[in-house]
Amino acid sequence: MKKRGIGLGCAWYGTGYGNGFPDVSSAFVEIHDDGSATVLTGAVDVGQGSNSIYAQIAAEELGLQAQDICVYSADTDATPDSGTTAATRQTYNTGNAVLRAVRQAKVSLLDYAAHKFSCPTAEGIELSGGYIGVKGDPSRRMPLADMVFQARLQGERFISAESSTARSTPVDPETGQGAPYWPYAFGCQVAEVEVDTETGLVHVLKVVAVHDVGKALNPTQVEGQIAGGVAQGIGYALLEELELHEGKIKNPALSSYLIPTALDVPNIEAFFVEEAEATGPFGAKGLGEPAMLPTVAAVINAIDDAVGVRITSLPATPERILQALADKKEEANLKGE
Amino acid sequence: MMDIKLMVNNKPYTLNIEPSERLLDVLRTRLGLMGTKEGCGEGECGACTVIVDGKTVNSCLVLAAQANGSEITTIEGVGNRRKPHPVQKAFVEVGAVQCGFCTPGMVLSAKNLLDKKSKPSDDEISVAMSGNLCRCTGYDKILRAVKLASQEGN
Repeated sequence: MKKRGIGLGCAWYGTGYGNGFPDVSSAFVEIHDDGSATVLTGAVDVGQGSNSIYAQIAAEELGLQAQDICVYSADTDATPDSGTTAATRQTYNTGNAVLRAVRQAKVSLLDYAAHKFSCPTAEGIELSGGYIGVKGDPSRRMPLADMVFQARLQGERFISAESSTARSTPVDPETGQGAPYWPYAFGCQVAEVEVDTETGLVHVLKVVAVHDVGKALNPTQVEGQIAGGVAQGIGYALLEELELHEGKIKNPALSSYLIPTALDVPNIEAFFVEEAEATGPFGAKGLGEPAMLPTVAAVINAIDDAVGVRITSLPATPERILQALADKKEEANLKGE
Repeated sequence: MMDIKLMVNNKPYTLNIEPSERLLDVLRTRLGLMGTKEGCGEGECGACTVIVDGKTVNSCLVLAAQANGSEITTIEGVGNRRKPHPVQKAFVEVGAVQCGFCTPGMVLSAKNLLDKKSKPSDDEISVAMSGNLCRCTGYDKILRAVKLASQEGN
């Protein structure tokens, strides 16, 4: 018999290395005389899209388009260290480093422009739509490229190096008290499953995922991260089991360690709560790992809702489901006697 | 050593190869077509998918000698930056690429599906793409991209 159930899972997650470990990202920036800018950072984009995020951050701050920014990343010969692509930290930590570096390069640019425009203070200068000029006076502005070109002829360069260190203190080993992480990410997901009581096979029919991502700098990437996390969570809940024997992995192949295929992943509806994180670049914070955490609990709770068995050892393979159903039946029989 | 003839992306090649060479190695190392990726090397992940005589195959499991006389399409023969295939356009538009390692195989599986059936159902799309593993996207946007490509005509 096929039975359906619905389950809920919630997660909160401290992003960054945490526990007082030095969590430092760095970036170099140069604003060029063709109206573009280069960002150099050691952060590795493994597909989550950090390079796009840095281009967007730099473009936003310089009044340019993302395609005007060349992000050069993860080259130990040329780029400054930005730590690992781990701990859900690259948008927040390295994003902050990039923003600080862009702002630093901008300081000397605005000073130079204030002088050129005979504006008493750099506060009166703005960058917008590829132009640099005096705020509120459209007659006094010029293309950013022209301004940087003039500066270049006079030996001025707009180059910066900056870093950003995440807030983290070690917890007290005696009391466990402290402030190990900042910021925290929050998420909640609901899964609907169908359990076949004859075979023990679980099919996930639908997942609705809601995540607090701070400000979503790139909604397409946020959706991609959520869907990817849900798929990995389904694998974690139902399929993936690393088998060890005397320190050796017994199933080091995709034929014996199964991950979800297109047929295992349901329709995923992703929503995000945009509660701007005050310390993040333009209000953003990380999403990577939190996207998969609630999925497991939601799926396991949905199985319980469907067939009334509590799976306490992952993954919930057909064998484990059938065993749990058999145990439940036996318990009921014993009670009945 | 042995001689084989292959038609790859509409170009004829005559090659002198070892009988034990995989089609994947001949494409990548002898022809320099690096768009075809090696993932697992055991026919599970689909990263090395190419189209041989109208069928998608894992080129890590096909000996080059078995492909003698065949017509082969690799990702290099599907489209390029100036003239992307509708499937490639849809992948970009929807945001179906994250790390990109599975993408060439995904595009070839999708193209072959749409070549055979221009308006597949959602289930048919999932089945056709199920031989290609992806760890980043959760398949969600990939399946949407294939759907979009089918709606916009092939």
